[in-house]
Amino acid sequence: MEKDNIMIDYKHRQAGHCESGATSNLFNFYGVEMSEPMAFGIGNGLFFSYLPFLKLQYAPMMSFRNLPNVVFHRSMKYLGVDATVIKKFKDPKESMAALDRNLEKGIPTGMQVGVFNLTFFPPEYRMHYNMHNLVAFGKEGDDYWVSDTVMELPQKISSEDLQRVRWAKGAFAPKGKMYWINTMNKDMDIRSAVEKAIKKTVYEMAKVPFPLNGVKGIHWLARDLKKWPKKHGNETASFYLGQIIRMSEDFGTGGAGFRFIYGAFLKETGEKFNNPDLLAASSLMGNAANHWREFTYLSARNCKNRSKPEEDYGKLSDMLHEIADMEKEVYAKLDKIKI
Amino acid sequence: MEEESNPVYKNQAYGKYRELLYSYGSDGKFEKKVGYHDEADRVTLQQAWDLFNDRIEAARQKVKAGEASPILYYMEKTLVTPMDLSMHAGIMVWRVKRHLKPKVFNRLSEKTLKKYTEAFNITLDQLKNID
Repeated sequence: MEKDNIMIDYKHRQAGHCESGATSNLFNFYGVEMSEPMAFGIGNGLFFSYLPFLKLQYAPMMSFRNLPNVVFHRSMKYLGVDATVIKKFKDPKESMAALDRNLEKGIPTGMQVGVFNLTFFPPEYRMHYNMHNLVAFGKEGDDYWVSDTVMELPQKISSEDLQRVRWAKGAFAPKGKMYWINTMNKDMDIRSAVEKAIKKTVYEMAKVPFPLNGVKGIHWLARDLKKWPKKHGNETASFYLGQIIRMSEDFGTGGAGFRFIYGAFLKETGEKFNNPDLLAASSLMGNAANHWREFTYLSARNCKNRSKPEEDYGKLSDMLHEIADMEKEVYAKLDKIKI
Repeated sequence: MEEESNPVYKNQAYGKYRELLYSYGSDGKFEKKVGYHDEADRVTLQQAWDLFNDRIEAARQKVKAGEASPILYYMEKTLVTPMDLSMHAGIMVWRVKRHLKPKVFNRLSEKTLKKYTEAFNITLDQLKNID
């Protein structure tokens, strides 16, 4: 039986980051109060990787977050919640039918989508970025109600458009990926989840033996940054520099490439478990995040008037090295922590 | 974080939406606020769009002058490289690059053209006559 109008009582809250926002909203729907930083921290959202050999919109690619769906998947795993993730569908029609079935059962369903053809998305951010997330929670005739946590209010999208963004092509194509929570775990062990999550984040940021990831990746980027004006000319160098800012500040990061959100997570857990070490780590992270902000301001000034490139880029590069060292200190502290 | 949107953007439609942003104060508190981006972010975003728009305009001139096929124009308009377009349309890269020549484009079959119109989300008429 096909119902035309379905509306699940799902509370939309705006968030800094699309996926951890969706995850925290889903937790709230099932009656567990969870803030966005908490979901982000437990889901290992924090990351850094610099991939100069891949180009995103004509500039080297870098990422301040983990791969798509890691936040949802890991937070479910660490907290022992029964959730389903369908990685890909064979047929677009089947993926939409599966979504309808879920909505009829009253399950708000998360989906990975591409941003470029998303009709309600702010036009200045329409780029080929396939790692966006939103949650569908209602249907009205041929339109779906979706909660995109980057936006202030829930949005309406037609089924044709929704299908198009769910089947966006290119790098990291979503292929109709969707996920939802089946049953909520009643007695969650948040303490052990936080411990596991922090361990994993420290591993990914400081210990992975690959030079383009984590702290080492930031150092590599800083070294490359110095060479850009000579290698590519001033115009291109400034455009590449802009890419760092765009990736760290725009595209829904909550500012400073998620460092603020992670700091907030450390603070929240520190207060929850009365742990002074976590609080100390959170203030270090906050300082590192403020340095990222400062780096952004200086780079933007550089992009604006492009005065003495060699000197400026040298300075910016030094600053980035400094930030990397600051972050390293945080991870060293977190590595020894006992919760 | 700013309260008001700023006229840095050249396009009127830009800068209309408010985002949730975090900050860390000297008192050791993390705060969230809903507002517009700072000037720093807007400058770089506008810089990116300037570059994209230049590329689109250059492509339009080239197509009008008969030096390139309309595929080049739509490729730049949707902000993709031949590599991306190859993935979007399901046509091999070397063929996509070849189709950028007007001479080759004019000989393309309906089937191939349809792949392109689907990738760009436009009609066949729009593909043949650029605005």
